Amino acid sequence: MDVTISKLPFYCVIIPLIASFCMPVLARWKKEFCAPLATLATAAVFVITLVIGYQVMNNGPLAYHVSGWEPPWGIEILVESLSSLMIMLISGVCLVILVYSFVAVKFELERIITGWYYTAFLLCLSGMTGLVISNDIFNMYVLIEITGISACALVVAKGSRMATEAALKYLLLATIGSGFILFGIGFIYMITGHLNISFIAIELAEVKDTYPILIWTTLSFFVVGFGVKAALFPLHLWLPDAHSSAPSPSSALLSSLVVKVYIISFLKILFIAFGLEIFHETFIRHLIIVLAVIAMLSGSFFAFVQIELKRRLAYSTVAQIGYIFLGIGLGTPWGLAAGMLHILVHAFMKTCLFLCAGAIAYQTGRKQVNEFAGMGYKMPITMGAFTIASFSMVGIPLFGGFISKYGLALGSLEAGIPSIILVIILSGLLNATYYFPIIGQAYFSQDEHEAHGEEHGAKKFQKDQLPISMLAPIVVIALGIIYLGIFPGTALNFINQTIAMLL
Amino acid sequence: MDLQIVFLNFPYFVAIILFSMGTLIVLTQPNLVKKVIGINIMETSIFLFFIAVGNAHGGVPPIFDASAPDVFYVNPLPSVLMLTGIVVSFSVTAFALALIVKLYIYYGTISAPNFMKLK
Repeated sequence: MDVTISKLPFYCVIIPLIASFCMPVLARWKKEFCAPLATLATAAVFVITLVIGYQVMNNGPLAYHVSGWEPPWGIEILVESLSSLMIMLISGVCLVILVYSFVAVKFELERIITGWYYTAFLLCLSGMTGLVISNDIFNMYVLIEITGISACALVVAKGSRMATEAALKYLLLATIGSGFILFGIGFIYMITGHLNISFIAIELAEVKDTYPILIWTTLSFFVVGFGVKAALFPLHLWLPDAHSSAPSPSSALLSSLVVKVYIISFLKILFIAFGLEIFHETFIRHLIIVLAVIAMLSGSFFAFVQIELKRRLAYSTVAQIGYIFLGIGLGTPWGLAAGMLHILVHAFMKTCLFLCAGAIAYQTGRKQVNEFAGMGYKMPITMGAFTIASFSMVGIPLFGGFISKYGLALGSLEAGIPSIILVIILSGLLNATYYFPIIGQAYFSQDEHEAHGEEHGAKKFQKDQLPISMLAPIVVIALGIIYLGIFPGTALNFINQTIAMLL
Repeated sequence: MDLQIVFLNFPYFVAIILFSMGTLIVLTQPNLVKKVIGINIMETSIFLFFIAVGNAHGGVPPIFDASAPDVFYVNPLPSVLMLTGIVVSFSVTAFALALIVKLYIYYGTISAPNFMKLK
């Protein structure tokens, strides 16, 4: 294989890293260059990931050994088809969010912060791509910390009282989470003497009967650590505050990508490092399924009670994380594929919803769910995108969410637990109860404040009063949801290649 | 239980005890600075654990000596990894303290129960 191509995954990490360190300097000199440079760097990463995706699809996994050291000792970057799909998703969604934040950042943040905002954003991008493609668990830990700290910085960028509080809570809990992960890594190193996931897998398969208790301990440390990071239900306490008080582009990034990359690395550790035998022998599978089911139901229920739109969306993320973990817990080809597809679909849906929430606050200043009367006539394009994303959330056919829920249902049949289907349907109905009232209000009732001047029942469509750089990302993401709903084949191809390797 | 095994492996026990203490402090102490100290105790216990993993009884420092090529080395990798760990722990501490200063400006207190409620 060509040497340049095998180096490409490395550039995905290093380009945003270098760009992020240019930002603070650039912000002092020429503030208006920050956003274009950040977008340029992200676009470059996106193009590179597309090339990687094409390569991986045609020629199989790409491996790169950093600075030429061979795997057991050096750091290995391994891009198999699932990782390549995920880095495409990460850089693509980041690009869309960056375009959106041209205006949104000026609106929501103080001027002096903007340079630092882009620094944190690019660091987060670099950490996430690195986390997905890294094949070395200690390297993974470092990237987890980079992602976590920059995510906290993205929350606190708003500078408000609520945001600072939420960021501190997030930072403390995330550090506990990464402490647990690091301890787990220590246990693995103690048992196997390796840090490279492929070598750990070989070694663990041999010695797993010698240290049964240690393997149990390690697994539970990883579940707690990644559970805190990915906001699995009883450990989700930081998520609603952090995601709802952050500026809307950051909320979109945090909710759609940051919590997901931890799930990918958990999947890698669970299925590649520990392997299927340990997964089926221990009770880890049942634990994950039970927690996921609780998350799906209670996350939706908590979302139903919230009256602030962004808090409702944040709790909805808790429920959706449950779906993804359910896919992992089922551990059957369809279940796993649907769980991974749900990462993709949910990234699109939540980005769309948070960006719409930000756009609505930008134009009308409304943030509560009961203030949406007549919104469909004032902002038809934004509300149209919001409606598409909500339909997908509920799982209506033709939208992306349907495919992943259908896949999860098939997966639970494969795993021989048909009662899970009931939970999926119930959670979908709960989703409907908190998204449909918003949409219903927006289209079928009139705003009382503005109805006085006009004749009764005269509803007129107006054009959205949004700059094009806010409107275009919303439309692109909404079209992406429909595309995934009608043509999920390409994404499933990528996912199934990796899953065939795992199972 | 064989006491000698416990005695030989006492760094692991100390690490586990410190880790639990640190986690408990972060979760239960109302004072935010104490929470940060708890995080530091927790991470230090992990450093101790790693270095104990790398240690070999009777090993010498891993520096190559041409006159004695066959001596028994201590594993240097965990210690090197922990350098990174220390840097991470340092930056988390710095960031958390900066946030605490900001919260102190807002609220005039660093006691968590006054504002960190579950919502």
